[in-house]
Amino acid sequence: MEITHEKERNMSIEESIRIVPKDGIALIEFDLVGEKVNKFSTPVMVRFKEVLEEVSRGGFQAAVIVSRKSSIFIAGADIEEIRAMKKADDFKAAISKAHEIFGLIESMKIPVIAAVNGACMGGGCEMILACDYRLASDDPSTKIGLPEVKLGIIPGFGGCVRLPRVIGYQAALDIIVKGGAVDSRKAEKLGLVDGVYHPSLLEARALEFAREVAAKGKRRKTYKPKGAVMAAMELFPARKFVIGKWKSGTLEQTSGHYPAPLKAIDVVDQTYGMSDINRALQIELEAFCEVAVTDVSKNLINVFFLMESVKKKTGVASDVKAKPVKAIGVLGAGTMGGGIAYVAADRGIDVRLKDINYGAVALGLRHAREIWSKLVKRKKIDAYDLNRKMSKVTGGLDFAGFGQLDVVVEAIVEDMNIKKKVIGETATHCRPDCIIATNTSSLSVTEMAKGHPRPENFVGMHFFNPVHKMPLVEVIRGEKSSDEAVATIFELSKKMGKLPVVVKDGPGFLVNRILVPYLIEAAWLLQDGMSIETVDRRYKNEFGMPMGPFTLMDEIGIDVCIKVSKIFHDSLGDRIMIPPVMKKLSENKERLGKKSRKGFYLYDEKGKSQGVDQSVYAELGLGSPSDRLSADETIRRGIFPMINEAALALIEEHVVETPDEVDLGMITGTGFPPFRGGLLRYADSVGAKLICDELEVLAGKYGERFKPCTPLKNLAKTDRKFYA
Amino acid sequence: MSTKSVSPKSPRDVVIVDGLRTPFAKADTKLKTVHPAELGRVALRELFARTNFDVNLVDEVIIGNTGSPSDAVNIGRVVALGAGVPQRTSAHTVHRNCASALESISTGFDKIKAGMADAVVAGGTESMSQMPLIYSAEVTKAIAALGGARSPAQQLGALAGLVGADMKAIMGLLTTSPMARAPYKPRISIVEGLTDPFVGKNMGETAELLAKEWTLSRKEQDEFALQSHQRAVAAMKNGVMAEEITPVYLPPNFKEVVEADIGPRDGQSMEALAKLKPIFDRKNGTVTAGNACPITDGAAMVILMSREKAEKYGYKPLARVLSYGFAGLEPERMGLGPVYSSPIALRRAGLELKDMDYVELNEAFAAQVLACLRAFESDKFAREKLDLPKAVGSIDMAKLNVNGGAIALGHPVGATGTRIVLTLMKQLKRSGKEFGLATLCIGGGQGGAMVIQNEA
Repeated sequence: MEITHEKERNMSIEESIRIVPKDGIALIEFDLVGEKVNKFSTPVMVRFKEVLEEVSRGGFQAAVIVSRKSSIFIAGADIEEIRAMKKADDFKAAISKAHEIFGLIESMKIPVIAAVNGACMGGGCEMILACDYRLASDDPSTKIGLPEVKLGIIPGFGGCVRLPRVIGYQAALDIIVKGGAVDSRKAEKLGLVDGVYHPSLLEARALEFAREVAAKGKRRKTYKPKGAVMAAMELFPARKFVIGKWKSGTLEQTSGHYPAPLKAIDVVDQTYGMSDINRALQIELEAFCEVAVTDVSKNLINVFFLMESVKKKTGVASDVKAKPVKAIGVLGAGTMGGGIAYVAADRGIDVRLKDINYGAVALGLRHAREIWSKLVKRKKIDAYDLNRKMSKVTGGLDFAGFGQLDVVVEAIVEDMNIKKKVIGETATHCRPDCIIATNTSSLSVTEMAKGHPRPENFVGMHFFNPVHKMPLVEVIRGEKSSDEAVATIFELSKKMGKLPVVVKDGPGFLVNRILVPYLIEAAWLLQDGMSIETVDRRYKNEFGMPMGPFTLMDEIGIDVCIKVSKIFHDSLGDRIMIPPVMKKLSENKERLGKKSRKGFYLYDEKGKSQGVDQSVYAELGLGSPSDRLSADETIRRGIFPMINEAALALIEEHVVETPDEVDLGMITGTGFPPFRGGLLRYADSVGAKLICDELEVLAGKYGERFKPCTPLKNLAKTDRKFYA
Repeated sequence: MSTKSVSPKSPRDVVIVDGLRTPFAKADTKLKTVHPAELGRVALRELFARTNFDVNLVDEVIIGNTGSPSDAVNIGRVVALGAGVPQRTSAHTVHRNCASALESISTGFDKIKAGMADAVVAGGTESMSQMPLIYSAEVTKAIAALGGARSPAQQLGALAGLVGADMKAIMGLLTTSPMARAPYKPRISIVEGLTDPFVGKNMGETAELLAKEWTLSRKEQDEFALQSHQRAVAAMKNGVMAEEITPVYLPPNFKEVVEADIGPRDGQSMEALAKLKPIFDRKNGTVTAGNACPITDGAAMVILMSREKAEKYGYKPLARVLSYGFAGLEPERMGLGPVYSSPIALRRAGLELKDMDYVELNEAFAAQVLACLRAFESDKFAREKLDLPKAVGSIDMAKLNVNGGAIALGHPVGATGTRIVLTLMKQLKRSGKEFGLATLCIGGGQGGAMVIQNEA
């Protein structure tokens, strides 16, 4: 049995890369058997080597590499394999092998041409860089890029060395450092590809092209700067300056938390123009190994898989299917409603807004249109796209058109009684099978469902602000929500380009519940003599949050934060203690945050921060800040209570089922630093024992709110992790 | 219900499910920047919403339009796609000048009657604000060259060409006699559109002709115009007009929402009307801007269905289309068109003018409406012009344009035909009356008419 199995595998790997002779040209077809995409795994690389050797021996005039997958050329290296490798030596062995194989392409006596249709990323991109010529299709799926830094690594199959030689170091850095990709039009402009054709004509044209270049003899194209300015930029002093700029800019953007992009810049700097390519590749290899073994890379790869895993999920345990959604209604056309309208219509869903007056409806229309207008300005879409998308959003004051809707999302004022009444009324205007979803952030979905005559068709669909930027949607399952309703909203969220997480009903659901203790603790830090700047800087720069807690409270609205804190205090008890400064804050009705241009910070009319409002300390009866707490303590006081709350929500209350979902929610809903792998990955890296001990110390110093919960203590006692 | 001799209900009857329009706004006011395709889209999408209409049922979209915007030549298709009609569904544009949007309904009527369709969107849209200037061939060529120029040198050359062509046109205008200036003038398409191409008379001049031939005084005309405003303002105030209007949110920033017609004047008075100078015959004329309809932007839509399909899908019709008729007459007397077309439509419906509970007779000009009323009543006109033994009948002012007409509301040429049917249908519904006639005169010398029966 084993033997047949092995044989079958060999057969399939042989079928995965085939040589098809075409009148003296070797057509190399990639079509991985049993896989949706082409990717470079160890067995594929072994087979690719065999193929290349066979082609060199076969007396062909030229070779053309194509993919038989519809929208994938080669998606990159097998990330599962990278994830499994732990030691630098493992990486060294694998990469040296790849260097050898791509070296075969480069040194082949006949010209090798890549004909790219579909995604050509990472290792795929590095492979075509080793070819003599590259042609591409103009299909929208065709993208060529090097996303490695997003996984905490650098291009390791020669990308850092070869891309700058093909398109110049400036354009190459732009792709490598950002982990970017270009479409075929841009690729042609950069000189990354030598011609762009319709996908139906690509292969025939590539074969013709192969004959033409075979007749002329093998030639390798390298980057030639256009014009005097670009030529001057190639010279050493200018290059040093440009590369220095890239470094300082990257350092500033990443606060030094992401080593990979900096490493990539170093490699480009050291190897650009180096005549001995093997030495250059060796430098790249060393650098790759340095970053690949870091926790940052491991965490980023985990986060990648976390996000990918959502694609396969349905949101329910049963095999109930989601219903198709072609048209949705949105009740309340405010910022949230307008944002929801935008993400839906952008993905081709018809949207009907309803609000209480035309001005309010117009606000929703304007919000959506402004986002598309920005995309037009950035040339991501054109004016026709804008009109087409905009035409899908309409609005009115009554329930006109609601009989045609598949889903209605409620985004009106956060008031249980009003919501119940409106939901009940809405249901009478919709088809019986229409699903109503509430975008509430703080009210019980199960309770609200009582307003719906068919509570099985009612769920929560909690978007985060700003809707068009925040990827998380919490799909809240009420007690009576049906599997079909949950699956439909889960699928709809995905269709809107979001990452849904199914959560159980309860105060603050998942993300806000975990986040609020952190925000309140920031206010306690202020109370205890810390300055707003210092706290924000420590969380942002040192810990890696996208913004500090005070900036975040300004964004959310200080009034909203206080209101939600009170609700949480009532439902979660003494873990949520509101500091006196926060009560004091609620007295000033003008200090609401960004929306009133005055919060912890001051803002200009465009909403740009003008720095901390220094009058805030006096207003709150505080002396001038002493900043006496250490950075460590500042950060622990905010982060550890979040871990404590997450332990309760996950282990005791099963708001979600897995630590994965907590981490996905925190990363996509609050921007918790991905390089830390998520809140619970971070907790595991610190260790439950240390966290518990520290919480006990903090509880002794500052109060009961820090007391570690039982599930966290249990983890600490038995020395276990959140991730088993 | 009816004791008259209309045909009994049949599965192949053509019924109107409902209709809706945008506000009509005097040209160069609030809707001036809105493309006519967008006006049509707004009205149609909202009509679908208000009727919960399943767009997959639509077999054909037929839209009237006269301006033929060069960036949307088959504007019917643009309206249809924008309103969410499936891509597989065919759409076209019809042009019968002022009756284009009556033509769209009559074409839909024919298709349904013939069994070629079961659900048709008919309507019309027009932006008279956006009707372009057309430059002389030479200037146009120079502008095109400028657009196509790539290098700075080419651009400079093209610019010189444009200035040259322009200067030649200006010199031409200055040095030639009025009659010979045509080749040099930029042609204002809206002016050309309102001039009869066969007899060379401006629409206003045809109204002047009728005013004189039928001895209609300035006062009579102004009184009619005043009544139009008063009725329209009343219909606006008591919410009657709002029943047929959907607001237009003004792009790009939607800061303003146009909810009502821009045209009816609350304070209109005989004194104010009397101050206006005649436009088309400055010496002896009586037709002024006050007793003529203003050029206007707007769109109107209806959904037509075969009775059987409407019943099958549970759409309750508001009205049945009984018949229509078009007829031609002397282009210079085009204003009398309704008198020619109405008897045809009435005969086909098996009804007479006296059976009509309400009449919508489009108000291109007060003089033209008043001339029609006289001609309808005239045995002599009937015998000589209509080949009928006696007068068609008379129309009581209490039944005519009871919610005001185009003098107050405006006349977006390609949309009015549907508007008058829509207004008539809603009026029949409101009053619980049975029969209505919608009719209008057509530039070029035609009349159009449609008879409908209330089913609401």
